[in-house]
Amino acid sequence: MINEILNSITFIYPELAVSIFLLIIVLVDLVFHKDKKYIPYISLAGLVITGILVLNQIGITHFAFVPQLSAVKKYGMMTIDPFGSYFKLLVVVTSILIIFFTIASEEVIDLKERLGEFHALIYGMILGMLVMISASDLILIYLSLELLSLSSYVLAGFLKLRERSSEASLKYVIYGSVSSGLMLFGISIIYGLTGSTNLYVINSLIQGPQINLFTLSFSSILMFVGIGYKISAAPFHFWTPDVYEGAPISITAYLSVASKAAGFALLIRFIQTGFTSFISEDGYWTLIAVFDWQALLIAISILTMTLGNFSALWQDNLKRMLAYSSIAHAGYILLGIAVLSNQGLIAVLIYFFVYMLMNIGAFYVVMLISNKTGSENIDDYDGLGAKAPFLGVALAIFLISLTGLPPTAGFIAKLYLFIALIDANMIVVAIIALLNTVVSLYYYVRVLKHMYLTKSEREQENITPSIGSLVYLLVLLIPILFFGIYFTPIVEFARSCVSLLGI
Amino acid sequence: MSIYDVIFYLFAILTIGSGYLVVTSKNIVHSAFYLLFTLFGVAGLYVLLAADFIAIVQLMVYVGGILILLLFGVMLTNKVTDVKIRTGTIHIIPAVIGTGLLMGVIVSMMLRTNWKSEPGELPFTTTYGLGRILLTDYVLVFELLAMLLLIALIGAASIARRDNE
Amino acid sequence: MLTEFGKIFIFLLLAIGFVGIALFAAKLIRPHRPTKEKLLIYECGENVEGSPWVKFNIRFYVVALIFLIFDVEVVLLFPWALTYQEFGFYGFLVGVIFLLILGLGMAYEWRKGDLNWDRTKPNIPELSKILTNKNVSNVKIDEQIKES
Repeated sequence: MINEILNSITFIYPELAVSIFLLIIVLVDLVFHKDKKYIPYISLAGLVITGILVLNQIGITHFAFVPQLSAVKKYGMMTIDPFGSYFKLLVVVTSILIIFFTIASEEVIDLKERLGEFHALIYGMILGMLVMISASDLILIYLSLELLSLSSYVLAGFLKLRERSSEASLKYVIYGSVSSGLMLFGISIIYGLTGSTNLYVINSLIQGPQINLFTLSFSSILMFVGIGYKISAAPFHFWTPDVYEGAPISITAYLSVASKAAGFALLIRFIQTGFTSFISEDGYWTLIAVFDWQALLIAISILTMTLGNFSALWQDNLKRMLAYSSIAHAGYILLGIAVLSNQGLIAVLIYFFVYMLMNIGAFYVVMLISNKTGSENIDDYDGLGAKAPFLGVALAIFLISLTGLPPTAGFIAKLYLFIALIDANMIVVAIIALLNTVVSLYYYVRVLKHMYLTKSEREQENITPSIGSLVYLLVLLIPILFFGIYFTPIVEFARSCVSLLGI
Repeated sequence: MSIYDVIFYLFAILTIGSGYLVVTSKNIVHSAFYLLFTLFGVAGLYVLLAADFIAIVQLMVYVGGILILLLFGVMLTNKVTDVKIRTGTIHIIPAVIGTGLLMGVIVSMMLRTNWKSEPGELPFTTTYGLGRILLTDYVLVFELLAMLLLIALIGAASIARRDNE
Repeated sequence: MLTEFGKIFIFLLLAIGFVGIALFAAKLIRPHRPTKEKLLIYECGENVEGSPWVKFNIRFYVVALIFLIFDVEVVLLFPWALTYQEFGFYGFLVGVIFLLILGLGMAYEWRKGDLNWDRTKPNIPELSKILTNKNVSNVKIDEQIKES
């Protein structure tokens, strides 16, 4: 029994590394009370080590923590598979980018005394996300979701003196607790139906005839509420604009990429391991006929992207606009899942990689400008193209990529998504998504118009970014342009990571 | 009606009745005190379900901790008794339809579903079995809980601390 | 058969009954002659002024918050304490890791000063400070000491 546990530990080295570094950060924060400037570097070192450990795992497919006391000794609480490793890598890379982000962000620099807590809480988020990505047990799923949520509640309201930040945190907590309560209700109903919390066991049990379909559907919807809140899908997205606007901008960028990625990974794993009966030769999943996931996902995703895009049209605050745009992107990505095929899954993986680059990039430019001007309002971007040529061009490329125009990587992401949709004969849905993209063009281009065509009424000094910021932006820009033209590597990598530990 | 049924209904009435008073009471402090009885009644129901550990947790954490926190929260606000709490009813028809629908769904679900049940004797205490499970199958959950509590501790202190800026 | 909780329940009933019967009996026996003065709230013989609700120090809340988290921790330690001996050193280790992580949290709160109570510093007169002020005569020193 103890051997099994010791053996399992070898599969959770990334999570272990994150936990240990979390403790180290807290300890360093304690011991070196006066000097906080090393903490970002410690957390960077921890993330690099975690990244290497995840890379080592990338080909492995294995169960960890298989219950020894229960009757079924086959399925573990955690599943290590290429799909999970891909998302873990994504989370770790995003975290590294965000740590560099915070080093340049004035808001975070001003924290001084509280920098230790800030990084400890970011590590709490990372731990929650890593566990969530590979959790295949409902208890573990709930626990990791709470770990992620708790840390992000505090981080969203980290600038206590700013009223908007506290408001963001409060809204986040209230919405979060309601949805996690509903999810817990769903979990308890599923447990009551099947007597198990393991997704694999649940999968085999819900195929039986004695399962009440109505109850199962009800609990599935409740589960989806909890996950949908994390990925800010449409009826559960109300917190997103306020939280994204009020939170420190580095945390906004982090929430919009990493925590969304983890939520999507959870959703995919939940549907795939919990409800798929088999995967055909050409990669289409056949779900157990207990609940129509496809209809739900299509409906939610169309609602999400339409609401996100149309609400973004009227936003004057760039952070808020990007919040709505991230809701819209969640809608596109949900479509990739709704296809219910490996093709769609590849599209999701590619989309997330590209989304990470362009979204963090856009937020980074917004942060640099708000460092100087102290505002994120679109009027303050008037004439920016002349005052800060490099920043202007960078933001333009990020926004074009977010729209999904060639020759940027955003185009490739959307292309694969549409190919997957058309392959699955979901033409109508594809057309709706395409129309949405056209709508999104308007508000992205509106920023460009302010930057290049509108003359600023006020005299402002030129904004010259530091060398570090230049390098950071180039690190994001080069892949966007490069993968926009030569995209075979990411497609191949995504294809190799598509397999989940099957039934 | 056996003695267990009698006790069950006693606790159920206690829970629901005080729960009603929590919602309708005009004074927020009274609401908090009524909540004490609600939580206590739920603990009694847990005992009847032979979930003794959960019952103790309910008493220790909810009655002993969260309720106290709630009261502190109420007392932190400056003017407790001056605050007018609106307990009037508005939108009564949509509310009745909404809650009625939800209630119908839940009740019909409760009655019509084949809940999984395994025959077996009630254990004398569940704490021991829980300990075994926490140390073996769910050891990951156990340690992760420690991390969760650590994060909660840091986060709570971070929010509540007064800044000298 | 009576479980342990059954015994608690009987105690509960007895306690409620004891208080209830005593109060009820008192109500039956005691004379009932209220006057306006008798019904006033008693506050050391003075007339009542203002609301009895005073604003609490935020410190109470922080301490209660920390208490709650350690409360949960203690609850989780019960099942561990019952069974760890069965698993030998491994069982012990699991609990030790759990406690160390939370001990770190405790140390953190301590060091960060969250457990400190805000006190107004007493203003203690320091002779050395007063004496370094050379122009001050002895009389003035006496006055200063008196003042502070």
